[in-house]
Amino acid sequence: MTSTALESQLVVGAILFALGMIGFLTRRNLILIVLSTELMLHGVSLNLTAFGRYHGNPQGQVFTIFVLTIAACEAGLALSLILTLYQRRKSLDVFLWANLGEDDLPVLSGGGVPAQPKAADPNADLPHLTPAGRAPTIPGAKI
Amino acid sequence: MNWIMDHGAVVLPLFLGWLAVWCLLPREKARSRVLGGLIALGAMLTLQQALLPPAGNAVRDGMFYLFSGTAILSGGLMITDRNPVFAALWFALSTLSVCGLFLINSAPFLSAATIIVYAGAIVVTFLFVIMLAQQSGAANYDHRPVQPVAATVMSFVLLGALLFALQEWGGIDGKSADAAREGQFATVDPTVKANPFSRPPVSNKAEIGSMRVLGRSLFADYLYVVELAGTVLLVATIGAIAIAPRRSQGTL
Repeated sequence: MTSTALESQLVVGAILFALGMIGFLTRRNLILIVLSTELMLHGVSLNLTAFGRYHGNPQGQVFTIFVLTIAACEAGLALSLILTLYQRRKSLDVFLWANLGEDDLPVLSGGGVPAQPKAADPNADLPHLTPAGRAPTIPGAKI
Repeated sequence: MNWIMDHGAVVLPLFLGWLAVWCLLPREKARSRVLGGLIALGAMLTLQQALLPPAGNAVRDGMFYLFSGTAILSGGLMITDRNPVFAALWFALSTLSVCGLFLINSAPFLSAATIIVYAGAIVVTFLFVIMLAQQSGAANYDHRPVQPVAATVMSFVLLGALLFALQEWGGIDGKSADAAREGQFATVDPTVKANPFSRPPVSNKAEIGSMRVLGRSLFADYLYVVELAGTVLLVATIGAIAIAPRRSQGTL
């Protein structure tokens, strides 16, 4: 057992974490986003077991078991959420839910979904609160 | 420029890796797979220069290179594959390789548990959902990544920060000694004082991953945490059942 084995494993864990982060940031499929977080969790688990072996105690493996537990919880919840979202829009595209953001935040659109132009605010110079949601459309009411 | 020459062992694989991932990310036009694959191979070879171990156990080193190479390659293929079904399968392969690395870290129980939980449960259910939701294969949005340049640059900056921290810490290039330096790690008392079941640890290094040591640590030192984790699992199960759509409201 040389210490270089520890450092090499830390490097591999860091690479797995970075790859999972790229996948999380760039993919638009809801399921692949969740799978990328699992890849990041793999990188962390690798670090934990490598340190556990380096120090010669079982705590790294115990922590990894807890990470596994939380990953299982996360996967179950994510799947049921994804199924619910899929039932609403009949698609796994994450950009279909981009309009849940607040109105005055910039819309980061990748290719494909055009950013909607915003109407000019007549009271832009006045102080205002952050709008929480959209104004409801009331039939028959004049605005 | 001098600085870059000094740290070439880390900067070169980082740059090549960024180039490879950027080449291989799915896009609408044809991507040059061969070029990206060659660059990725070059990145991994130069990285291997950076973490070349001193001559040790040949079998162990071989297993480490095999498993880590497979893990990194299949992870990269997972995030760059257009078809989500193939991406999930690449993720399963990456999981298996990480389990091999767990075996190297003398964690056989953890390796088996990870294979069962991930490959046996998580990947299968995700594949189930993908095949139900996307019956026609890769959809339009799978070909268009979100902000590919910014995301890859940011991730590789993070990776570079991690690698530089490791290099300064002890040396990816083998500068560090076998023993831990003074003040390198905070010493943690392994027994949890508040827990009456906690026992002093065994000192035999070969026994770390055995069921006896692991179970004693899990159910003595971390008994309360195990109960908490069980509660979290129960809450997550109930929540998932509550969130999941009923069959009477629609299909799926």
